[in-house]
Amino acid sequence: MEAYAGKILRVNLSDGKISKEKISEEMREKFLGGRGFAAKILWDEVSGVDPLSEENKIIFSTGPLTGLPLPSSGKMVIASKSPLTGGYGDGNIGSMAAVHLRRAGYDVLIVEGRSETPCYIAIQDEEVKILDARDLWGRTTFESQDGLEAKHGRNIGVLAIGPAGENMVGFANVISQRGRAGGRPGMGAVMGSKNLKAVVVKGTGKIPVFDEERLREMGKEGYGEIKGKENYDFWIRQGTMQVFEWCDENSCLPTYNFREGTFQFSKRLDGYALEGVKVDRKGCPLCNMQCGNIIKDLENKNTELDYESVGMLGPNIAMDDLRKVGVLNRMADEYGLDTISLGSCLGFLMEASERGLIDARIAWGDLDTCKKVIEDIVKKRGLGEIIFGGVRKAAERVGGDSRDWAMHVKGLEISAYDCHACPGMALSYGTSPIGAHHKDAWVISWEISTDRFSYSREKVEKVVELQRLRGGLFESMTTCRLPWIEVNFGIHWYPKYLEAVRGEGMSQEALFELGDRIYALIRSYWIRENGRWSREMDYPPSRWFEEPLSQGNLKGYKLDRARYDEMLSGYYEIRGWDEHGIPHRETLEGLGLGDVAGVLGKHG
Amino acid sequence: MAEFRFLGYLAEIYGKKNVEISLGNPRRLRDILVVEFPEDRSIILINQRVGNFDSVIRNGDRVVIMPMISGG
Repeated sequence: MEAYAGKILRVNLSDGKISKEKISEEMREKFLGGRGFAAKILWDEVSGVDPLSEENKIIFSTGPLTGLPLPSSGKMVIASKSPLTGGYGDGNIGSMAAVHLRRAGYDVLIVEGRSETPCYIAIQDEEVKILDARDLWGRTTFESQDGLEAKHGRNIGVLAIGPAGENMVGFANVISQRGRAGGRPGMGAVMGSKNLKAVVVKGTGKIPVFDEERLREMGKEGYGEIKGKENYDFWIRQGTMQVFEWCDENSCLPTYNFREGTFQFSKRLDGYALEGVKVDRKGCPLCNMQCGNIIKDLENKNTELDYESVGMLGPNIAMDDLRKVGVLNRMADEYGLDTISLGSCLGFLMEASERGLIDARIAWGDLDTCKKVIEDIVKKRGLGEIIFGGVRKAAERVGGDSRDWAMHVKGLEISAYDCHACPGMALSYGTSPIGAHHKDAWVISWEISTDRFSYSREKVEKVVELQRLRGGLFESMTTCRLPWIEVNFGIHWYPKYLEAVRGEGMSQEALFELGDRIYALIRSYWIRENGRWSREMDYPPSRWFEEPLSQGNLKGYKLDRARYDEMLSGYYEIRGWDEHGIPHRETLEGLGLGDVAGVLGKHG
Repeated sequence: MAEFRFLGYLAEIYGKKNVEISLGNPRRLRDILVVEFPEDRSIILINQRVGNFDSVIRNGDRVVIMPMISGG
């Protein structure tokens, strides 16, 4: 089958061994690429290990559409056993590294073992080296990018960690191109645990495609369709920041550690405020709807903002100026910290301080203290020593009732949508395969357009449908979902693209089954690694059930626990999982995961 | 007076973000707005309840017309 570079590159940092393996036909057929490949490799190779140990592995995985002349295809998935959650963790990142990896002849890079001293991996086509990175250790991700470009030239792809990853902060991520981020469940910490500062890739080959001419024509048509969309110009101006005003109006803006859904200073932070201070935009390779908004922050330095970062470092911690948010956002990108988790951690500390659960004083909206706390998180000292492992672990330490307002699911901090009045989105967070994240199924528009307050079966079905498409198909092809979901680019293009690159099509049924297979495998991974499982793992925090909104149009609303539980049962039923959320043997066997069923039987 | 709020690019289609209109008699939303919106990509909330372009609007109503976005 065409469409694949064809090889897995495996680098062992303990013994320096470098090997290249063929990707089996079965692997391509059953798991497609990206997240599918990563989940399969982790299931097969990483079991029962400490995520920060030498035995863990980190997977850099592309899909059959990655790097091709198609809309927003410059993406890859970075996956590992997560040090933040203890389960399956991944994140996608837009980077030239994705394009170059494929051009170098590899679909997947697996890094295993641990180097004695700081190192980086340099790949140029067939030549793969493990090089000394002692001079880069301690440097920010921006400085590392600059240093590596000085050594290898600018036409490369770089994936780097900052000091947060080096020091194994639980929510350390991976940064590329001075601001593109990915791998929020601690993928940067896994790299740090291996003394792996960066991966540098340069590929000069050609990615094999079954019907190149047809693909090129369809790609061109696709780019044209996107530019002609009615909201394209508005998107170019605001990008994901258009969501801010929308969420404020609909009471789903994360505010004061998710106590509220609206913010009194939202006009200082929304997409229109952004337009007033925006100086440039940037984005991922092969994208014609770049979403990165560059502003000058309060310290007059460039920083790249998107909605999630502004939501969590703005209203969630009561920061009332976009340029102040920019300072925190830039620090996070430089140090290699996930902005979503950072915003949640700062909000947690502010609330703990307000309630007298910690001695230190950190007031809502206090920029200077936030800056100090970020430094402390990176160095794991002071308040950072409490919070560096995320809010779940911090709540265990701080005590009181903080478990109820430690805003996470499965240990991953919730991204920027309040769910007091969004039961469907709460289910989406509850069942997301990496912990609370929105990428798999953002269902809020749909639920508001139908009946946002209902807990209907139809809503559960919608969550599953979105998970199949966003979490299954897009994460595995591997290409960005934003053209489809943000400017309404036709989803019908993707099966055609797959057919042109692979030489054979995939029916809708097959694509849905792919998503279900990946979901069942990832769920099985969580259960195996956790050792036990219960449906409580699929619940959002108590705050949304117990403390109603006190402001805005939806004052008084909160989630209903019993009705959420009914939705969860419906979700399990659709997925073919039992009442505890464990896949039935027949479900796994029906998805071609009979070997998984055998192992999982011991953990049910 | 009825209050109308337009979000995102729909505000650009209408030309304003907010407007108050005095309605003599209750009227259908599409007859009040005149401008054409992408109906299959729009959400209408009338006093927080889901409506559509054929919903009848009265003085005192608050109407929000917003795009069907997808939250990243």
